[in-house]
Amino acid sequence: MDRLEWSSVELLEREPGLEPLIASGVRCHGGFDADGRYRSPRTSHRMPAIAAWQARLATDGHALLSIPDSLLPPHHPNVAQARLLLLEGVREPIVRALTMISIVEGFGAIIRDVPVPDLASLVREPIEGTALAHLSGGLFEAHARDEAGHKDEGGHKQMWEAARDLALDSPKIPSDILMRMMGGARARTRRERLFPRLDETLEDMLATMVNVLVIEVFARGTFDWGETLLSDPEISARPKEAGAMVGYIRADEAPHVEYLRTALSEVRARTLRTVDGGDGELLEGRIVVDALLHRALEFTTRQRPQEQRNATRTSITSSLEKVADAARVRSLLERFDALETPFSPSEKTGFEAAE
Amino acid sequence: MSLGLLARFPSLSHAYRTTRAATTAASVWGMYKVPEFVRKRLGRPEPKSLGETHERAAKKILDLALELRGVNIKMCQVMSTRSDVFPPEFVRTLKLCHDAVPPHEFEVVRAVVERELGKPIGEVFAEFDATPLAAASLAQVHRARLRDGRQVAVKVQYPDIEDIVAVDLKNMARICRVYERFDPQPMPLLPLVREMTEHLALELDFVREVDNAERIRAIFAGDTTVAIPVVHREWSTQRIITMELVEGIKITDVEGLRAAGLDLGHVVNALMSVYVRMIMAAGFFQADPHPGNVFVRPDGQVVVMDFGLCKELPDGFGLGLFELMFSMMTMNESAMIRAFTELGFRTKTGDTTTFIELAKRMLRRSGTGRFEGEFTEGMTDELFEAVRENPVVEIPTHFVLVGRVFSLLSGIAHTLGHRANVLAAMGVG
Ligand SMILES: Nc1ncnc2c1ncn2[C@@H]1O[C@H](COP(=O)(O)OP(=O)(O)O)[C@@H](O)[C@H]1O
Ligand SMILES: [Fe+2]
Ligand SMILES: [Fe+2]
Repeated sequence: MDRLEWSSVELLEREPGLEPLIASGVRCHGGFDADGRYRSPRTSHRMPAIAAWQARLATDGHALLSIPDSLLPPHHPNVAQARLLLLEGVREPIVRALTMISIVEGFGAIIRDVPVPDLASLVREPIEGTALAHLSGGLFEAHARDEAGHKDEGGHKQMWEAARDLALDSPKIPSDILMRMMGGARARTRRERLFPRLDETLEDMLATMVNVLVIEVFARGTFDWGETLLSDPEISARPKEAGAMVGYIRADEAPHVEYLRTALSEVRARTLRTVDGGDGELLEGRIVVDALLHRALEFTTRQRPQEQRNATRTSITSSLEKVADAARVRSLLERFDALETPFSPSEKTGFEAAE
Repeated sequence: MSLGLLARFPSLSHAYRTTRAATTAASVWGMYKVPEFVRKRLGRPEPKSLGETHERAAKKILDLALELRGVNIKMCQVMSTRSDVFPPEFVRTLKLCHDAVPPHEFEVVRAVVERELGKPIGEVFAEFDATPLAAASLAQVHRARLRDGRQVAVKVQYPDIEDIVAVDLKNMARICRVYERFDPQPMPLLPLVREMTEHLALELDFVREVDNAERIRAIFAGDTTVAIPVVHREWSTQRIITMELVEGIKITDVEGLRAAGLDLGHVVNALMSVYVRMIMAAGFFQADPHPGNVFVRPDGQVVVMDFGLCKELPDGFGLGLFELMFSMMTMNESAMIRAFTELGFRTKTGDTTTFIELAKRMLRRSGTGRFEGEFTEGMTDELFEAVRENPVVEIPTHFVLVGRVFSLLSGIAHTLGHRANVLAAMGVG
């Protein structure tokens, strides 16, 4: 069997001898090999390690969970809508959207501060040689560094900023961004416990991993959007570089989705001890993970697209009103709405509790 | 001379106030300079620590303030928040002025209310408690009931406070000028007096305080997790504020919060979210989260009071602060330098590596050696200390206020056994 134990030094190791990636003056992580191909940072051991853990899961006869693309809501505004705004000279909402993406990416780094409980005592079966056993041993830290950067190397936060600045020529950043991001009431409603019998730190950790996984999977829509939009020579000042930058970010995300779904699948294949203790008091990992996934997917596919549409709408109208008269605002919004991608969330998430 | 007498004969008290302030100033100055003079004459080495002198000097100033009140208490309060200028012993002693203020007699208060409203107190209020809920430097707060039955809190400015303030400020400025002429290495007191003069003029204007309150209310419109007392404008003037009486548990009353069944972690989150939204998102904030100004209702709603000191932040400040926190979290030095500069920090030599040293000093006091989103009291103290020791770095005034707010919040959070994580309170991601 392939190697299953890795040190955090190995998981965090940077491939030597790469040509560094410089994004509009900022040194970023990752780099180019001798053939000029982009290589994601900290992957030389991380990728084989994840592959080995996945192979073992399969050998043991367990499924690797996956979130179907069909659940994915379209990015809002879509490419055609964003093009319309930019071509009409209404740049602020797109600058805002790209900056918000960079900020959200940066916040991904807080995964390193998610408390990891003593898993060996909370999971009944052994966890040696799993992704689960390596979360606090390099996986979370590598993820955090990818998102926010580490020391003087930028991460996805800086790479999205670079893509924005390349394509839109270092635009002025609207100062109302944080207000818009922090406005939602959702941020302030605390996550309800679904399994009060479970160790709280464990449920919190699993819920966070599930949420991040869902965000990472659905980010595909954002990457496609960003790549297509920013590599369009009609609206982008530096179509090749800006588009490529988004492509690099997309490539870097692969290990995130893979380690998260591997570790969650490992939990699904095990049983969890409850706080009341004893082997009689167990919860199937599958029930816990699926319930958390179901909740996250319901939110992301139903509530969230609507929220996002409303937020984009206010962002657009407030920017439009600064530059156009009422008649022009109305006609632009009509054209904008006509380009809308229809979306109706699917009936089921696929992770409903078995009846 | 009794305090009551002083209040009734303001003109008589002018001469007294001036003399009393001047003698205290002279004696404090002497405490520092005489030993130094003697030491230099005799060629003695530098004393190890001035701690004891600082403490004695601060005590003298505090006594003066409690006797003369008015601006002097305010000055103490201001000094106690400026750990970027004054040594820790000073700051610690002068903090006592927050709780030590004796209230005015009710007759004095009644006279102000009646003069301001132009009516006998009974025509507006069905009840008016003679004992105040709280007394502070410029005003005291009484519980009362309007004739329509609504419960209110009435904040009443002390009589003649404007005159007293004017005299005190003039004295202070004069003393500072003399001091700066005599002392070869003066502490920068004059700018402080100027800043205070500015703040005081604002704080004495209750119409402005009411405007501030409404502006903050607007930030939280439609948000049921926060409450700002509603002001009854028709019974409010330049010198009194009549507002909704709010009840709740003092934010640092751990037992009370627990007894109400509140989760202390949720309380800290809610509190942080309020201040982070004002500072990072709205760019306008109440700069005084001392525990007396924040209540928690049994349903977890956070009530913020006292809008005398509110501050508008420059455009882009929230993003700048966010970038600073991020660069500190990732130890990205070039980003740190950009963020400090963006926030208005300056070095006199233009050498930006000083900023990195500053950040490293702060990080050593974060508790974990890393920045995890909280500006601890230790970190803020360290920042101010570093700036005090190294006059090469200049901090923008509004950053001092923001730093102080986060430090106060961190203190409150720790009292409740939690952490004041600013990044987490942004609720993004
Ligand atoms: N609306 C109110 N309801 C109940 N108590 C209040 C109200 N306003 C103020 N207080 C109490 O009075 C104290 C002093 O009022 P505050 O406005 O903070 O005055 P100061 O500006 O002098 O500090 C507050 O800390 C609070 O305890
Ligand atoms: Fe990312
Ligand atoms: Fe107060």
